[in-house]
Amino acid sequence: MLTEKELERYDRQIRIFGVEGQEKLKKSKVAIVGVGGLGSPVAYYLAAAGVNLLLIDEQLPELSNLNRQILHWEEDLGKNPKPLSAKWKLERFNSDIKIETFFGKLTKDNIEVVLRDVDVIVDCLDNFETRYLLDEFAHKRGIPLVHGAVESLYGQVTTIIPGKTKSLKEIFPVPPKKKEKFPILGATAGVIGTIQAAEVIKLLTGKGEVLANKLLIVDLMHNSFEVIDLED
Amino acid sequence: MKVKVRYFARFRELAGTGEEEIDLPEGSKIRDLVEKIKELHPKFKEEIFGEDYDDSADVNISRNGRYASFDEELKDGDIVALFPPTSGG
Repeated sequence: MLTEKELERYDRQIRIFGVEGQEKLKKSKVAIVGVGGLGSPVAYYLAAAGVNLLLIDEQLPELSNLNRQILHWEEDLGKNPKPLSAKWKLERFNSDIKIETFFGKLTKDNIEVVLRDVDVIVDCLDNFETRYLLDEFAHKRGIPLVHGAVESLYGQVTTIIPGKTKSLKEIFPVPPKKKEKFPILGATAGVIGTIQAAEVIKLLTGKGEVLANKLLIVDLMHNSFEVIDLED
Repeated sequence: MKVKVRYFARFRELAGTGEEEIDLPEGSKIRDLVEKIKELHPKFKEEIFGEDYDDSADVNISRNGRYASFDEELKDGDIVALFPPTSGG
């Protein structure tokens, strides 16, 4: 049941998803893996929408993160782990939701415990090794996985639904070469992360169409949005 | 036969154009098109298809809006898109 305050707070989106949709959001828990450039807008918009969160990251914010990782501020640099830094702001932004954190790296050994009761996983990572681990776990447990990746003014999104779509490993069988310092504009992560957040809301409420077996390619430098069909 | 090739993101800068038509012999595969692109745009050869390049990791290709493999045969009028893989977060 939604409270009077919640009915007012979420009024503008209840007009889209109904009270029933909002109740689904209230009951759900979404894991955001990587609380950086993509994770910041994903966490911000899901918190705004009234979704409970599990924030996962192993790093402390650094000065060169701040051009895009908008949940971390100067006062957090080298001090507050990313999941805690993000939680501190989001709790003050929306006190309705529960925010759990895991400060550490996801591994084969801890993934079962850390992600044990989540409804959707959002891939906001910066490497394919951990992405494959998420993909494997999502398939084992039948949990949808919203993939996003960015570089420069360019990015991609697809939603993996176990049993229905190709797996991430099938789409990208070989990991792209990892760059330690990749070029990235904050606005790119903002666009891609925001699209990921919308994917999560659609998955949780059952409304609309998600990017299942479709890869959205965004090129902000040249104003192009392309959807590529991934089905055989 | 002629195929239309579309370049995305960094590839667009390497090719110096967003889109072009390329002439290929009948029966050509995507692999042959990639060879042709390397000839036409030396920058591609240097930056993307270097010595240690792995075709599934360094370039993603779609043919007529569908994800395609290097072994797929092309037909006249096909639209092929090349886009770079990304991994940042």
